[in-house]
Amino acid sequence: MKKRIISLLLVLAMLVSAVAMVSCGNTGDSGNEGENGGNGANKVRYDVPAEGYDGSEVTITFYHSMGARLQTVLDTYIPEFNKLYPNITIEHSSQGDYDGVRDQIKTALTAGNQPNIAYCYPDHVALYNVAKAVVPLDNFIESTITVTDANGNTSALGFTAEQIADFIPGYYAEGTAFDAAGTMYTLPMSKSTEALYYNKTFFEQNGLSVPKTWEEMGKLCEQIKAIDPDCVPLGYDSEANWFITMCEQYGSDYTSLDKNGHFKFDNDTNRGFVKMFREWHQNGWVTTEEIYGSYTSGLFTATEGQKCYMVIGSTGGASYQQPPQVDGNALFETDMATIPQVNPDAPKVISQGPSLCIFKDSNPQEVVASWLFVKFLTTNVEFQAAFSMASGYAPVIQSVQSNTVYQQWLDKANGINNLTALSVKLALSQSNAYFVSPAFNGSSAARDEVGKLMQSALVYTGSDVDAKIKELFEAAIYECEYAAH
Amino acid sequence: MKNFLQKIKFDQWKAWIYLLPAVVLLLIFTVWPIFNTLRMAFWNGYGLFKELGGELTFEFGIKNFKWVVGYGGFITCLKNTMLLTVLTVPISTILALVIAVCLNAIKPFQRFLQTIFFLPYVTNSIAIGMVFEAMFNIVGFGTTMPSYGIINNILGVFGMDPVNWINAGSSYWANIAVLTVYIVWNALPFKILILLGGLQSVNKQYYDAAKIDSTPRLRVFTKITVPLLSPMIAYVVITGFIGGFKEYSSIVGIFGDDMQAVGGESLNTMVGYIYKQLGANHEGDASAAALILFAIIFVVTMINMYVSKKKTHY
Amino acid sequence: MADKLMSTMHEKDMQKVTAMQKVTKILVQFLLYAFLIVMALIIVFPFYWMIISSLKNTAEYRLPVPTLFPQEIMWGNYLEAFTAANLGKLFMNTVYVGIVSTILSLVVTVLSAFAFARLEFKGKNALFAALLATMMIPGELFTITNYVTVTKFGWLDSYTVLIVPFLVSVFYIYLLRQNFLQIPNELYLAAKVDGTTDLKYLWKVMIPLSLPNLISITILKMMGAWNSYVWPRLVTSTDDYRLITNGLRDAFTDMSGQANIPVQMAAVTVVSIPLFLVFIFLRKYIMKGVSRSGIKG
Repeated sequence: MKKRIISLLLVLAMLVSAVAMVSCGNTGDSGNEGENGGNGANKVRYDVPAEGYDGSEVTITFYHSMGARLQTVLDTYIPEFNKLYPNITIEHSSQGDYDGVRDQIKTALTAGNQPNIAYCYPDHVALYNVAKAVVPLDNFIESTITVTDANGNTSALGFTAEQIADFIPGYYAEGTAFDAAGTMYTLPMSKSTEALYYNKTFFEQNGLSVPKTWEEMGKLCEQIKAIDPDCVPLGYDSEANWFITMCEQYGSDYTSLDKNGHFKFDNDTNRGFVKMFREWHQNGWVTTEEIYGSYTSGLFTATEGQKCYMVIGSTGGASYQQPPQVDGNALFETDMATIPQVNPDAPKVISQGPSLCIFKDSNPQEVVASWLFVKFLTTNVEFQAAFSMASGYAPVIQSVQSNTVYQQWLDKANGINNLTALSVKLALSQSNAYFVSPAFNGSSAARDEVGKLMQSALVYTGSDVDAKIKELFEAAIYECEYAAH
Repeated sequence: MKNFLQKIKFDQWKAWIYLLPAVVLLLIFTVWPIFNTLRMAFWNGYGLFKELGGELTFEFGIKNFKWVVGYGGFITCLKNTMLLTVLTVPISTILALVIAVCLNAIKPFQRFLQTIFFLPYVTNSIAIGMVFEAMFNIVGFGTTMPSYGIINNILGVFGMDPVNWINAGSSYWANIAVLTVYIVWNALPFKILILLGGLQSVNKQYYDAAKIDSTPRLRVFTKITVPLLSPMIAYVVITGFIGGFKEYSSIVGIFGDDMQAVGGESLNTMVGYIYKQLGANHEGDASAAALILFAIIFVVTMINMYVSKKKTHY
Repeated sequence: MADKLMSTMHEKDMQKVTAMQKVTKILVQFLLYAFLIVMALIIVFPFYWMIISSLKNTAEYRLPVPTLFPQEIMWGNYLEAFTAANLGKLFMNTVYVGIVSTILSLVVTVLSAFAFARLEFKGKNALFAALLATMMIPGELFTITNYVTVTKFGWLDSYTVLIVPFLVSVFYIYLLRQNFLQIPNELYLAAKVDGTTDLKYLWKVMIPLSLPNLISITILKMMGAWNSYVWPRLVTSTDDYRLITNGLRDAFTDMSGQANIPVQMAAVTVVSIPLFLVFIFLRKYIMKGVSRSGIKG
């Protein structure tokens, strides 16, 4: 017993000395920001060096989550960038997936080792912003400082009006989801959305028409269920996307940037659609990947047994919805459409996929060089085209569509063996429909919780549905508030 | 200084020389982080990024601990952690002991079977999570055409109804049963390895002596094998408890980040809570929870050590 | 059951067996094998799953009802695995880190375990209890602090950063101490009387006697290098120093973060083979045991 006490004392003694040591250690790097305070109507600003890019030799690190194929594309275009700016060395590396990039940067920030550029989702940037680590881009975008490239051509450091107009507006607006003033923190890199995949052959054989509204979707599911009683007509991949998209389509509250009450999704409209979709699930009309216990794409492309005839999933996963082939013949044809809407005249679809953010650095030239590279990646037509073709994600600038190679690729789109191009085509055609949810420290919790809420409500089989839904909403709000305390 | 050194026996500082590399490394990479944990735990409302953002001034207190204990799911986390530990440690230890003793006892196919029991070491963890899900899964549960995983098919061979193990609407105890199987499976190879190694270190003379005395076989097992293996058994039990209290990845492996079956009860654990707080930028709460967990493990380990000291034969 | 098994090892000694005993023995043997085979099947199933998954195409892999044998065997997955990732370099890194850290770790562990098991010094038990206590804090909390530490040391992007922070494992020190304590103290005292130095005694007596456990530690340590993912990714930025699991997990994902699992499994299988051979080799040493070392207790 005595020895145990000694060991405890030992630990305590070390503890005291350590606390003393910690309090005088650990200084982060000092950026050179000139901020006018983040709250209120003023945008957060970053002081762009007056000389712009001075041609100095810098190394830029770029964290992303590209697989081997996409890295090949990137590696092809870095030399193109270096033809313009030979003194900027780009080092890039994959950190696994999006969460991997976030976790890596989260830790790296503690030692001031953050990369210069990173793949990001709005939630991640909101997190980095707690540490005030992300460079606000407005001053770069607006900058008229002249830069001269290696060919002797001069151009403005910022964007021209044409360049801004070239961005697909919904994608571009995502960069401003962080504060009331609309400070721009990110630029879109490559985007996907959700789309409705349907079995065109089956629809034609049975004289079914593609649903434009949720009302039509409900009726259609009933019809399909009558034709094939064993099927589940519709598969939805992501419950969280479903909930968030419905809020947007109904115009009901989801989350807000208001610091006094971020989480506003517990309201009658939202309880209403959750209740409706629960009935759909109980009728056997709809399932989700989590509830079904397997990929909905597997159900969609099944050749025997249970099937589904529609899937709402990411346009980035189009290749998985490709119809199965027997002896070189596709068993059916897949087609794609915009997901059902509450109001088809003002469609709303979610925007997904990586954006780029730039981190503060003690060397302002690294920040400027990073900006130049980000500008190159987001505005270079050839790169955006090649990246889109390799990834199946949509390019973020409209002029890519007039690129000849890209046009030829899009022309080959079909629902039998080139669904990828078809999905990009659809994503581009609904460019006016994208929306963005507010991003703040804790916004990822809302996403997690509404997904869980949706799942639990759909599978509830008890009798007191309203009470259960009420309970689920309240629990979700509690978890969100706790996560954001 | 010289006087001081002379006073200490030769043995004393020799021991510290042997321990020097370990102690130095531990001070840097283990003790130092523990202090940092303490700093964060007793800093009210601490968040790493808040500190980096320069918004935080030090305020000593136990507010973080209050937040942890005040969390609505705290008791659930505690209960799940305890339950899984109490279930999995004894089962895996006994099973591993029996397998190790059996493996040591057979002759034909001995090498082959031993090789099989080494395979988990080269099976990548990605594959292991997937296979367990597939084994217990019911695809399309609740639809008109469900298809059952291997486990339910085996139950069917014995005329039993399929059980909803992990899918939507599955019961808490079914979930716990699956987790128990998974955790035990995961723990087995390590324990078999240690116990097999231990068995090989046991001197064969004891058995020869028993043979001469023609001691009954059950007595050989309980009076010779188990006592001689007792240091290793104590080792796997104590480390098993410590590992059990830190259970987390197996639950995510089967039930995903939500740590519950669809619509089911929460299977969150203490470490699950810690992870979630780290993700939500609440390093202060995470550290406080880690210290609470540490206190629990410490007490349990002390009890374990006390018991094993009485029962261990060196 | 198991007690009967023990005796089967020395059948020669059992000259006089009655018919009844023979039947019991056969029955016991049968049960024994049945038990081991069932357990072996359970243990081996994920490995089997890994192999068959590596031979499926993506569509078959995603089928609602998983097939137990690939409908169409896709050897092409293996070709893709080889071309997609920089596995050769990553594999060599893993082997290097695995071997160096195992050797250094064994040295540190043996010395510490010896001190705890055989030497008498003030505060021994207190220190040992404190060591055990460090195992009880979830390691995730260490990561951030350790990251800051290695950054300050300037160790990022080096083999050092992959090896040194994990050289000491209290788990292994504890394991070996348990083993050392089993070796009769009389041997040590006798050696001291003979004037044998501690190190010589350690080398000549204790290490041979604990060989099975040292091999176990070797296997576990190698597996650590084989499975480590988070730390190497955190502290290295290029393939020059990354380890195999980084490549296995990261190279085969598409934009939406979904892995091409069949190709991934093919890659896993390929890199498993050399590892597996090493284990078969080490297994021999575990099973050899110490029966022939001639030390009498």
